[in-house]
Amino acid sequence: MECFDEDARLMLRYRDGDVEAFSTLYSRHKGPLYRYLLRQVRNAGAAADLFQDVWWRLIATRGRYEARAKFATYLFHIAHNCTIDFFRRDLKTQHAAPPDDADAQDSEPEVPEYQRPDRIAEFIEQQSALLAALGALPREQRETFLLHEETGLTIEEIARVTDVGLETAKSRLRYAIRKLKKSLAAVQIPASQPLRTRGSLKDTFVNGPA
Amino acid sequence: MDPPDMGLPDRDPPDDLDEYLRGDSALSRQYRRESAPAPPHALDRRVLKASREAQGPSPQAQGDLQRARGASPRAQDGSPQAQGGSPYLAPLAFAASVLLSVALVLAIVFGPPAARVDNAPRVIRVAAHAEASPNAPLDRKLRLYSSDPKPARAPSVWLADIAALRRAGRNSEADEQLRRFRVAYPDYSTGDLASRP
Repeated sequence: MECFDEDARLMLRYRDGDVEAFSTLYSRHKGPLYRYLLRQVRNAGAAADLFQDVWWRLIATRGRYEARAKFATYLFHIAHNCTIDFFRRDLKTQHAAPPDDADAQDSEPEVPEYQRPDRIAEFIEQQSALLAALGALPREQRETFLLHEETGLTIEEIARVTDVGLETAKSRLRYAIRKLKKSLAAVQIPASQPLRTRGSLKDTFVNGPA
Repeated sequence: MDPPDMGLPDRDPPDDLDEYLRGDSALSRQYRRESAPAPPHALDRRVLKASREAQGPSPQAQGDLQRARGASPRAQDGSPQAQGGSPYLAPLAFAASVLLSVALVLAIVFGPPAARVDNAPRVIRVAAHAEASPNAPLDRKLRLYSSDPKPARAPSVWLADIAALRRAGRNSEADEQLRRFRVAYPDYSTGDLASRP
């Protein structure tokens, strides 16, 4: 709570003209925000664009900021909206998007990017088994997991950030955890071992998580 | 191969999610061991610059810092490029201003003369024979007022003037006018004006 209060105070100071407060705020949240965006859209260029967009919006709307919740919920709610806009612009994603329903959370991943041969090689070279399994999750589940891991937000706060009910957020996180564990168990490698040491993992990428 | 998700029960055991939410699950520990990519420095610079520019004119603290550095606001960026480039911006701007000023002065002093409006008075020759003084010599009147190279006076008028000069005994003037009349109207009959009384 102390940290959240401090961030909110920093944002209030920046709203009132203290530029140095923003620098501190930025240094605290830039890493989690960037990783959240990068692992959501899985494209460094798009992540960089979204990263700027999020901060632009935060700066542009600073005059309306009120410390009614954790600053992270405010920041990542903007990030959530930016990623939603991004995926809406992507026609492939739009066609493959699953219904935003907790009952359909275990459907196939909506972003088949990992099925493209060029992307497969890239993932194998760059990602660990965990990140690859994370990338294969449905977007909503992946987002819930990332929000919790990167920001430490509670289920209630994640629900607020993603504009869903508490049970939906909880269900998404539960399924995300389950699938990640199953994916890691399926490849039968130590949790921290890089994926590129396991050639058989290519099938996992192509066919999606078991 | 594990069964697909569709075959799993709807809910996990409660302790599975609870364990994860406590933050001490193996999954969380493994995620924290992953590499933690950070945004490129160029992004840092852009965002921080935007945050400063959005606040408009720099606050007092920034102004003091800028004066201390003698540099532009970009020095606040904190990036190596901004810190390395900003000390040169002010001298360069000053030198450019001086150069432009000198060039402007030289262009004004030594440059090609600009087109000027000519206000010098000019004589415009107009026909105003009727207003000419009757005492002025005819040829002078014609030279001064006529814009037509040909004699503007009617032959009969001109001959009447010549006849008047004869009657007044100014024969030399009458002879001169007659000579000019014949030049102007070579095929016009002058009658007995050629002979002196």
